[in-house]
Order: sequence, then C-alpha cells, then structure tokens
Amino acid sequence: MKKNKFLAIILIAFGIIASCSQDFLEVKPKGSLDEGVLATEKGINTLLIGAYSLLDGVSSQFGWEAASSNWVYGDIRGMVGNKGTDSGDQPDINPLQSFSETSENPYLNVKWRSVYEAVSRCNSAIAVTKKALEQKTITQAQADVFIQQARALRGWYHFEAWRMWEKIPYVDETTDQTKLDNKADVRDKILADLQEGTKLPNDMKQVGRFNGTVCNVLLAKAKMQMKKDYAGALANLNTAKTGTKPDGSAIGLAPTYGEVFDIVNRNGIETIYTVQYSVNDGSGAWNGGWGEVLNFPYKGGGSPGGCCGFFQATQEFVNSFRTSTAGLPLLDNSYNTQPVKSDQGLTPAAPFTPDAGNLDPRLDWTVGRRGIPYWDWGKHTGSDWVRDQTYAGPYSPKKQVYKKSQEGQYTEVGNWTSGWTANGYRMVRYADLLLLLAECQIETNDLAGARTNINLIRKRAANPAGFVMDGTAPAAKYVISEYPTTGAPFDSQANARVALRMERKLELGMEGHRWFDLNRWGITQTELTRVLTYEKTVPWGTNMYGTASVGPEDITFPIPQRQIDLSNGRLVQNR
Amino acid sequence: MRITKVFQRITLLLFVMVLSAGFVWAQEKTVTGVVSTPAEGPLPGVSIVVQGTTVGTITDVSGKYSIRVPGPSAVLVYSSVGFITQTIPVGSQTAIDVSLEPDVKALSEVVVTGYSTQRKRDITGAVGVVKTEDIKTVPVGNITSQLQGRTSGITVTGDGQPGSVAKLRIRGPGSFENNNPLYIVDGIPTTDISYINPNDVETISVLKDAGAASIYGSRASAGVIVLTTKKGAKGVKVTYDMFTGFKAPGAGPTADLLTAQEYANLQWLVYKNDGTTEVHPLYGDSKNAKPTLPKWAANTDWYDVITDNAPMTNHDLTLSGGNESANFFIGLGVFQEDGIIIYTNNDKYTGRINSEFKVLNNKLKIGENFSFRYGSNRGVANLSEDSPIQMGPYRSQSIVPHVITAASAMQGTSRPFVVGEFGGTGMAPRLGNNSNAYANQVRGKDNGNYFINMIGSIYADVELMKGLNFRTTLGGTWYNGANYNFSNSTYERSENVGTPSMSEGSWYGGTWNWTNQVNWEKTFGDHKVAALAGYAANKYGIGRSLDGAVAGFFSDALDYRNLSNGQTVQDANSYVGTPVTLVSQFAKVDYSFMEKYILSATLRRDGSSVFGQDNKYGFFPAFAAGWHLGDEAFLDDVAWLDQLKIRGSWGQMGNQNAVSAENAFFLYGGDAANSFYDISGTGNSSVQGFRPTRIGNPNAKWETNETMDIGFEAQLFNNKFGIVLDWYSKQTKDLLYNPELPGTAGSASQPYVNVASMSNKGIDLELTYRDNIGKLGLNISGTFTSINNEITKIAEGFTYFDYGGSRIGAFTRNEEGQPMASFYGYKVEGLFKTAAEVTSAPTQDGAEPGFFRYANLDNTGASKGKIDPKDRTFIGNPNPDFTYGLNLGLNYANFDLNAFFYGSQGNDLFNWNKWWIDFWPSFQGQKSKDLLYNSWTTSNANATIPKASNKSNFSTNTVASSYYVEDGSFLRLKTLQLGYTLPANLLSKIWVKNLRVYVQGVNLFTLTKYSGLDPEISGDDRSHGIDSGNYPTVRQFIFGLNLSL
Repeated sequence: MKKNKFLAIILIAFGIIASCSQDFLEVKPKGSLDEGVLATEKGINTLLIGAYSLLDGVSSQFGWEAASSNWVYGDIRGMVGNKGTDSGDQPDINPLQSFSETSENPYLNVKWRSVYEAVSRCNSAIAVTKKALEQKTITQAQADVFIQQARALRGWYHFEAWRMWEKIPYVDETTDQTKLDNKADVRDKILADLQEGTKLPNDMKQVGRFNGTVCNVLLAKAKMQMKKDYAGALANLNTAKTGTKPDGSAIGLAPTYGEVFDIVNRNGIETIYTVQYSVNDGSGAWNGGWGEVLNFPYKGGGSPGGCCGFFQATQEFVNSFRTSTAGLPLLDNSYNTQPVKSDQGLTPAAPFTPDAGNLDPRLDWTVGRRGIPYWDWGKHTGSDWVRDQTYAGPYSPKKQVYKKSQEGQYTEVGNWTSGWTANGYRMVRYADLLLLLAECQIETNDLAGARTNINLIRKRAANPAGFVMDGTAPAAKYVISEYPTTGAPFDSQANARVALRMERKLELGMEGHRWFDLNRWGITQTELTRVLTYEKTVPWGTNMYGTASVGPEDITFPIPQRQIDLSNGRLVQNR
Repeated sequence: MRITKVFQRITLLLFVMVLSAGFVWAQEKTVTGVVSTPAEGPLPGVSIVVQGTTVGTITDVSGKYSIRVPGPSAVLVYSSVGFITQTIPVGSQTAIDVSLEPDVKALSEVVVTGYSTQRKRDITGAVGVVKTEDIKTVPVGNITSQLQGRTSGITVTGDGQPGSVAKLRIRGPGSFENNNPLYIVDGIPTTDISYINPNDVETISVLKDAGAASIYGSRASAGVIVLTTKKGAKGVKVTYDMFTGFKAPGAGPTADLLTAQEYANLQWLVYKNDGTTEVHPLYGDSKNAKPTLPKWAANTDWYDVITDNAPMTNHDLTLSGGNESANFFIGLGVFQEDGIIIYTNNDKYTGRINSEFKVLNNKLKIGENFSFRYGSNRGVANLSEDSPIQMGPYRSQSIVPHVITAASAMQGTSRPFVVGEFGGTGMAPRLGNNSNAYANQVRGKDNGNYFINMIGSIYADVELMKGLNFRTTLGGTWYNGANYNFSNSTYERSENVGTPSMSEGSWYGGTWNWTNQVNWEKTFGDHKVAALAGYAANKYGIGRSLDGAVAGFFSDALDYRNLSNGQTVQDANSYVGTPVTLVSQFAKVDYSFMEKYILSATLRRDGSSVFGQDNKYGFFPAFAAGWHLGDEAFLDDVAWLDQLKIRGSWGQMGNQNAVSAENAFFLYGGDAANSFYDISGTGNSSVQGFRPTRIGNPNAKWETNETMDIGFEAQLFNNKFGIVLDWYSKQTKDLLYNPELPGTAGSASQPYVNVASMSNKGIDLELTYRDNIGKLGLNISGTFTSINNEITKIAEGFTYFDYGGSRIGAFTRNEEGQPMASFYGYKVEGLFKTAAEVTSAPTQDGAEPGFFRYANLDNTGASKGKIDPKDRTFIGNPNPDFTYGLNLGLNYANFDLNAFFYGSQGNDLFNWNKWWIDFWPSFQGQKSKDLLYNSWTTSNANATIPKASNKSNFSTNTVASSYYVEDGSFLRLKTLQLGYTLPANLLSKIWVKNLRVYVQGVNLFTLTKYSGLDPEISGDDRSHGIDSGNYPTVRQFIFGLNLSL
C-alpha cells in the first residue's frame, strides 16, 4: 500500500511537469515591442524620430568618428583644420589627415556603420508604414508624408556615404542583404529619394523635421556633387530660396555673421536645417553634440568645454582671411607670403601683440587666437588654451563653442566634461544656399547673378555690428568689402570660380564642407598639395604631417576592410 | 499569495528540524595505541572512529593515537586510504596496537557525481576530486580562486582585487561566450558560487568529460562542478577556525618610471630628437641646456600613495551534531578583507543551516540546505584606463603632487591651490589628462555596493524498496543588491567635472529548480547495476533592476547624497529579465561485471525556451567504459602495480548559454541615448524614437560539444604513487555565435546562429606520492593541465572577428585555425638604424631612423613593396601551453608544513602599459626609464626602445605590434604554511579536542620574465591576457588557528 502511494506521488509529480512543459517553454521577451504594435500613426512616427535621431551621426553605438558635422572628413581632410590636441590622442585621425589611412582605419568603419544604421531605420519606417496601410490603420495621405520624410532621410544618408566612398551599396526596404553589392551606379536612386522629399510641405510644424525647402537644398547639393547638374540644382535652389524652415518660419541671412553660431540662434533665421542637439534630456549627453565634444580649447579650470583641444585651424586657413587694402581676399593665394602673426612658442606670460594687418572679420568668429576676445570667456591667452603647440599650432576652434553665460543651461551637467551643448550642427544655412546658388549661376554663366549673391554674404560679413570687439574697438584691423560690379573677378567664369571657392572657404570654414567642396570642384589633389606644402613649413608642420603627400586616390576614403570581409567579397574596394 | 504561505510553512519546518535534533551522552574511557603497517612501520593520518558515532581522531606522525570511547561496548574503526579498514571491539582494553594491511582494492573512496554518489572505483568518466582541506589553505574567501591548480583540467585566472571572482575554465573554452562551468550546489544548478563559504563545503567534484557530465545535458558543455555542503553526524561538534593577516602592496612599478626631473630631461631629449624649440610652460626655454622644474614640483610615487597594507580577517564557527534520526549543521562565517588600493574592501557574512530527518523507519529522509550571504564591497575598475593602477603609476607624472602640502610654492599654477587640496593635471599645462588616482579613491570612499545571496533546497528521499530510491529536490537561488556612487565635481584636473553627479541602482533576481529522480542499485552475482532516471524543470534569469543617475547637487555633503537631490536627471533605466525555462529528462545506467568490467550509458533530453518551436529539444547521449586491468591474473606478478584502471568515454553535451532569451524575435525599442531626437528644437528635451533593436533567428538550435576521453588510473609501489592520466578531445559543433552583420544590415543586435566550431584537445595529469620516512610524513601531489584550443570555423563567408578595443583599435583576433583571442598586428623586426635603411626598406608610413621596422610578410599585389594591413600576422597567443600545480605536505611530530606552487607556461601577454610609458606622444602621462635612458639615439643605434619623439604614426604608436607582446609564463609560490598542533594531553584538560596554530605566507614569490606588475591577467575569453592596469596579486602574511571541541 505504502509503496503504491509513493509511486502515485511520483507519477503525479512527473505528470505535472510533463503536462506543463509545452507552455512552460514559451517565454515572451520583456521590455521590447514587435512590428505589430508599431503599425499605427504613432508607432510609425516614433520610428521616423529614430531615423531623424541619427542625423548627428552619433548614438551610444557610434561616437565622434561618425559625427555628421564632418570635422574630420570635411575640414581636417580638407586642411582648413588639423587634428589638434596632442599627437597621441585619437591617433586614428593622424593617417586621415596625412593622407595615409588604410582600409582598416576604425574611424571609417564607424562612419560606415552609422550611416547604414540610419538607412536601416528609414527602411523600417517605410516597411512599417506599408504594413499599416495594408492594415488600414493610417490613411494614404498620412502614409505619403511618412514615406516622403523617410525617403528624403534615406537619400541624405546615402549621399553622405557617397561623398565618402562613391562606390557604395544602396539599401532600401526590399533589399536582400545576401545579394547586396557596390557595383551599380546608385546616384539616380539617391536623387529619386531626395526628390520624393521635395514633395513635402514647407510647414512641418516642427523645426527638426525635413520639409520641402530642406529637401530642395539637399537635392541640389546631391545633383551638384554627384552629377555636376548645375542647371537642375539651380531650379531646386531657387525654389528653396523662397521657402521656409520646417516649422514654417522665414529664412534669410542673419544681420551679423557671429550671431549665427550662438546657441540661442541655432534655429534662427539663418538656419534652414539644424541638426537638433539637446542637453540634460536623460540621454547621458548622447544627444548633446557628442560628435564635437572633443573640439574645445584645452585649459585646466578656466576655458570652455574642458576637453580636449582637438580641431585647430591650419595656418594656411588663417592666412586666407588676409584682405587687400580694398578689403578683398587675396585670390592668388599670396596671403601665405604675409602670414597672420601668431603666438606660437610663447608662454602666456611673454608679451605678444596680435597681427596688425588687414583681416576678414569672419576669422575671429571661426578661429580662436591669442589676444582676441573669445565669446564672453575673455581674451584667448595663448598657449595655455592649447594642449600642445609643438604638435598642432596655436589656434582654437570657435564656431560650436558655447558662451560662459550659457554653461549649465545649454550644456550638459555632471559629466566628465561640459562640452556637450545644445549648439546643433548648422547642416544647411542660408549663406550655404546662396553660395550653392552662386556656384550654379557661375557654371551656367550667370556671373552677375553669382556676384550679387556672393556680395550679399560679404555685405553681411562687413556689418561692423558683427565684428569681434575688444571693448569698444574692433579686436583686429577688419577690412572687408563687396566685390566690384565691374572687372575681376566676375569678368570670367574662371575668375568667378576662384572667388566663389574662396568665399566658401571663408564663410563656411570649420563647418565640415571643405574636402567635399574640393572634390566637387575636382581640385582636391592640386589644392591640398599646395596647402600641405605650405603647412609643412610652419613650426609644427613636420610633427603633424611628416612626409605626407596627396595622391589621386585621396578624393575618397577606402571602403572599410571589415565591411568588405563581412560582405563575403560582394563589396569591392573603391581604389 | 499561495507561494508565500508555502514558504512560511517551510521556514517553520526548518526551524523545528534544527531544534529537534538531539544528542546522546554516555560514560567514557580513553584508549591509546600505535597503528602501523607490516611494510612501513608506524602510519600517520589513520582515521579512528567510534563506530556509529562521529567521535574520532587520527594518528599522529608516529602512528600514535588517543581516543575517548563511550564504554567497553564501543567498537573502533581504523581506516586509511589505501589500506583495509579494521574494526576492533574495545572491551576492557585501554591500549590497542593495530597493524593495517594494504588494500589492493583501493579507490574505495566515494565520490559525488551527477545525481548520485559512486565509488571512485566504479567511475568511468573523467572526474576530478578536490580536497576541501587543500583549497582552504589559500586565504581568498571564494572557492573559484581556491580551485587554481588543485585538480587537472581546470584553468583558473584571477587578480588581486578583493572579492573578484576568478575565471574558471574546464578543458578550455568551447564557445565564444560564457564558458563558465555549471555549478551544482546540493542539487541546485547555479552559475555563481562566489557567495558560498568555503568552510561549509564537504565535497567538490569536477565532471570534465561527457561520460561524467552529460547527465547535466544542455548546460554541461563547459563542464560541471558538483559541490555538497556539510552535514552533522552523531554527537555534537563545535569548530572554530580563524586567520588574520595583511597584504603588502610592495614597491609596484615605480623603479621603472621617471622622477619629475627625469621627465623634464626626457622632454629635452624629445626636443633634440625632433628638432623642435619652444618655451616650455613648465621647464623654460628649450634652448637652455637643462630644464628647470617649477617651484611647486613634487616627486610623487603614485603607486605608493594609492596603496597601503591591507588587513584581512576570517572567522568560521560551526556547530553540528545529530542522532539516529536527525542531524544538523550550522555554520557562521565572517570574512573581511581590505584591498591594497586605499579605500577598497570586500566583506562578507555567511550563514548556513543544513538539516535532515529520517522518518518511517528510516525509509524517508527529508532535509534542507540553506545558505545566506550578506556582502558589501567597494572596488575599483580593473584592466581599464580608469583603474587606479593604470591611472596612478602608468598615467600620472611624478611632478604632480597628490595633495598640496606647501601653498607657498604654488606659483604659476592655473589657480591658487591651497594646502590640503588635491593636486592634479589641471595645475599647469602639459601635465596630461588623467585624473588624480589618489583623489578618486578618497572621494569615492563613501560609495559602496551591498548584496544578499541565498541558495537553498529542500528534499525528500524515500526508499521504495531495497536498492530503489525516489528523491525530489526543490530549490533555488535568490539575490538582490544595491549600489550608489557619488562623483564629486573637480577643480584640479585638466578635464574637470563641472557638477557633481550621482548614480544609484538596485536589482533582484533568482532561479528555481525542481528535480525528481529514481535511483536503483542491484547486484546479481557478478553483475552489478546502478541506474537512475529523472525529470527536472528549471527557470532562471528572473529579475529586474533599476538605475538612475542625476547631476547638479547643491552640496557634496555625505548626508545630502540621494537621487532626489540632484537638479538634472541624466538617466533613469529599468531592466526586466526575460527568463529562460528548461525541462529535462535524464537517465543513466552503470553496469559492472566481476567488479572489473564497467559500462555506462547516459541520455539526457532538454527543452529550452530560447529556441524556436522546431528546435526546442536536444538529446545528449554519452557512453563510457572502464576495465580494471590491474585485477587481471596476468598482471598479478607485477608486484609494484597495485591498481590499474583504463577507461574511455564518448558523449555529447549541450550549450545555450550564449543565446539571449530573445534570440528568436525581431524587436523594436528605443532609448534616449540611441534613438530619441529633439524634433521641436527645445535644446533640453528629446522625443521618443524607436529603432530595430534585434534581428530574430527562430532557427537557432542547441550547440553541441562532442567529447572523447581516454584515461587510466594507477596505484604503484604499495600505493605510494598514484597517477591519473587523461587524453581528451572536445569538439564544439553548431557553435552558437552572433556573427557581425554587414553595416548595411543596420546595427540591431545580431541573432545567434549555429555556425561556428571549435576544438580543444589536451592532457590532464595528476600524480601523487605519499610516504613516511621515519617520523617524517610526506605527501606530494601535482596536477598538470594542457589545452590546445583552435577555432575551426567562424561563419560562412568570413573567417575572423576582432574583439576588444583600445586607443589604437583591437589587437586580438579570433580566426579559423588559430587559438581564441590570439594577438594580431605587425611584427617588429627592429628599429630603423639609418636613413639609408629607411630608403631601401619597403615603403612604410612614418618610417624614420629610430622607429619600428615592420616585417614585410605579404609582398604580392597591391601590398608589394610596402607595409600595409596585409602584412599583419599573429604575434602572440595568450593561452598557456599548460598550467600546473604542485602541493608539498610534510609533517614531523606535531609540526606540519604545506607549500603550494602554481604555474602557467607558454602564454603570451600584451603589455599595454608600454603604450603609455614607452612612447612620448601616448598622452602626456608618466614615461618609462627605458624611454629616457635606453631609447634609440644616433649614438645608441642598436637600441630596442624606439626614439623618444613627439611623432605619433604608423611607425610608432598607432598600430598593434609585437613590441608589446611578452612571455607571460610564471611560477608562483601560492602559499607556504607552517602549523603546530598542540599536544592532546594538554588540551584534554581544557576540553579541547584539537587545537592547531599556523603561520602562513601567501604569494611569497613569483618567477617570471614578464616586465609588468603581475603576470596573472584575466579577461574575456575572446580577448584576454592584456595588461592594462592589472590589480596585482601581492604577498600576504597570515596567522591562524583551528580549534575543535
């Protein structure tokens, strides 16, 4: 009897486990969502927000290597800036600036992965929109606006990749990853995506969205860069010029140059599209300009940011701001024979008088240099703001730097440095639009139109209300004027090009455009060889550039070797 | 809640069990005598027990014993491993001399294996048995570290940080992730035993091959370690063990590093080498013949200021006892240990209650095991840039004062520093960007972690008929904890923290397990069968956690520190574990014929929730055989051979540890750091956004280890020598790996797929020797473990993945045909001696005299005539060829001496510290004496240390190269202990049964060629052996005593 009881208990016990086991082995994931939940208007919108959120290039998966402000790829590679700081910090930038990077360079792989993660987010939004349409949880009109935004973003991200590597794979929501390669010409697909974005209304209610105007400019940029289609771009730019910001407000030139870069004006009249940064928003600073967090002066307990002394201007770039007695740039590059004086090699205690020659006032909004007031931080005191002058020279970056009075309000608090700011990247600003327009005008032989647009910019720069002031007097001898209506340089297409190209350098310097501009103009190797030759003669030039030289292959970056390996050989190297 | 009620009842039951265990007393007398053997004379270490009780003693070195017996009816049992046990009724005798005969059938020891206990003689699998007395000689307070070198087949790597859990691998890593073995504690599976008090442990068995371990099927592939904890025996026993001592940090790396003046001299050398001039902000004009130091210059020994002698103390008190129908064991432990880094510690307080009842004429046993640990610790980052070891000695210039002592000298600093303030890199330019490691420790002294762990089980074991038992065991584990960490704002750094911030978190979680099994044993003449079968259900990964971080505190005051007092929320997260469930059926049959021929078969079937519908279940069979060759007639003439068994096994074990519980699902999610965007341009808020977070794979299935093992065990020369030798091969197939997807697929978590494979082969060897030479007792044992690891496949289409990162990228590569975590980079052939050599060499970016010349290993295609990534190669292997342990035991009269050595041979280390200190441009931190005195100059062109230069490029410090790779072999005297047992006649007057005192030195010396602080360096299986500021294992000096009543 007893035994039977025990056996009965055992059998019951086994039976319980056996009968439960099927359900017992079904465990649903916690804390996540599946596609079904997201196929609604609200759900798609969050996916779209996710796609917008990589416009800055960074997330906790991708750091400053992927920054869409392109300070490394646009400006350091384009030689308006150098890596700055000391030679051992972020050593992977060293070969990028000395034109000797290999396909194994980690920066390139991070940039690649960031751009394509952004593309995959766009494709998720599109796929889920289509699903929602099938399920009729949204209307066709709602779907259109979602898809237009997602495609414009997808086009932009692909364009970013194209500017870096040219031979790129194009990924859409239907792509079979196992068949993807980079053999086809993808430019038309990029243009088609951006074209779709131009159908968006201008008033998107929120300043962080793409609208028709933004997309017209982006499309024009892509047409110019990829296809030299200046006539086509001209039409888009003319449309954009009469447009609005994404929140429906007006666009135009800000009255003075310097104010454009003040955080409070990040969404001011000048900016057509600003990549939105936010601080103290619970993201642990990842939304606060992480991509540029290294690019602040370097001084213990006193200077803005606190880290890490990267992104210093090159001497050649600083010299470019030299103006003639007539207040015009030295278009023959003779400025290098009268370089701007610096405090290189001096301690802060040693006496120093800043350069007394004629200068374009935009210099002192673009570059921090000794003796010149630096926002409201007082005068730049020289080598104590710089990590290692013997490696990278005497200059500091300035355009993204916040004001002392803004610390804590527009900067992240409680992290290892205070250089996370709300100073969003001015991805498309009105002056850029005018200069792109002028470029198209020159290429289509409307030199007078080009001059008018360029002069609008010079006139703004010449507004004395916008000079950096030392007390009541201008901080340096600012001499600047508009181009004359007759004679050089707008007497020939060739001369006009030189003027346009110089104007972009001066107006948009340190804003991430230079190397891409040079590539568009087809002068990368000659121009950078010229700059490099000069830059090697400055006291820090050998440490920085060694035996560097610019080759014909340096108009792209190599496709990351890891990506070629991962593609099982379907991706081919671009050089 | 129903469960709450059940637990209330269980608690009540346990309480009653403990109290009701009674004791038996009787009248006593003392028996003395000598135990000897015909061949060897007096025999020490023989166990003498009064039959049916726990009263017992052991013979001393001269074979003498003295024991108190209850009365004339008592029967004494004399036993010793390797000898035939004798039982002698006491009667009226008071002196009994005994002669023990050698037991030709040794190996009668009983070993705990999977779901059963077996005689060692009957075991056909590879099982390592660790003596708990041995491991306790290593005073670290956690079993994992103590297992180092104690049995073959185990590799243990740890570090010197208090409370850190060493990495334990059984027969090498079989998988890319999570090669931690499965621990079974009193029948309950767990992955963590760090909270179990070593003093509570009765037996430890290591199941190494499929023959032994596949009974644990799906979780066995990384090996299984079975622990049982102590039970009470008849009578009452009280023990108290304690030790106390301290750790001495030693001198650290200071002698290899520069003083403040030397550092300035090095700057002058760099100017000279680079041809640069400037007015140095600290040292004056570079044109001056010599640098001058500023007035505030210190000469800080950073290792010295961040370390201190660290006390440690352990107390263990146990009370155990029982009678025929019940027994209990209560253990209490206190372990307090400071780290050699100031303000670090690890304290733990443990308690255990084990009890068992026999009812229904002893046919039903019910019992429980329960243990509890409360711990608190304050640790530091290890093997990282933020570790004090890296931040202090290797990254801090000597010129920086750790604390300001004389404000009068504070001229020319960035702000007026006052006495008592911390010094730091922000005092002046060119001091680097590191933080003050001393200040970090002082500021963090009030931070901490607290945790509670519990493990327990209740069981019932019923004898259904003779030889047939049913057992059910229900148990689980539970943990919870909390931590908080306040970060002060700083004023002394070059990169200051502007506002204080604080993070705080708490977590809880657990597992449960229910096992039902039937064990059957029967002997029919020469045939003996032992079989078991069972069913188990298991759930783990249950739990939640909560983390918050805020910044902007009005005050740094200690009492003000909580999350509510911060101004700005930086982070607010919670995590909910997706649990994993398993159901399992298992069966095992052992059959032996004439006690000579043994066959064993095991089958396990597991179902797991992590796999999709079609792949939930896996089968894991194993077969093993043994032959007692030594018992065969044809070997009878071989007099020196006492025992010889050969055995072999083949089987499969499973693994699913790597796989996320969410692996089968395609998921979306989002968080502020990854996918939120400030779409309205507020500047201080962001809107929720989502992204694909996981790509699902419903087709993943079990990873399988196929293991083969051939071994033999022998006893030689009157059982003085013992040898156990195993050759094994462990092949992992369908290895679950989440191959990196191309960037174009997005960056959602990649799914685990069954693509890779791995091979481990090696030899395990254990040798023992014991003898008595006159009064001297000698006991020597050695273990030897060799592992040959090779990745045989990664995934279709690609052959490698790099793992880990650094300021110059990853330098470990996992590639087919190579051992895991091999170092990969450029091979340094030497330094360029002359400009002419640079010109004639293959093109190499940054090449110049005094910089590295790399080997041109690939000279084809685009790589022809130049050094490019194709010239990289495997430059080192962090996996040892073999590891070994050697235990020496001596006793003479009442003295005993124990020495234990552990060594690792043939492993390379990547000395990442060299990057910081051997290259001027690797940040403006501390530099090496080598760089100043032994580096390349035109007059020292044969140097091996590259030229001191401010150039950072491909030819200097921006790529991984063989320059950093060093031989990491070492031999360490882990412990040396000298004990003295007080004479029994002295102790009996104070009712003490046994009292032993000892002194001990730990880690007294380490023989190694490695130039860093400590060659024992752990790390992730995919990237380890990289010295980036390793918390060193240092000398300890201990006094202790063992007392029993």
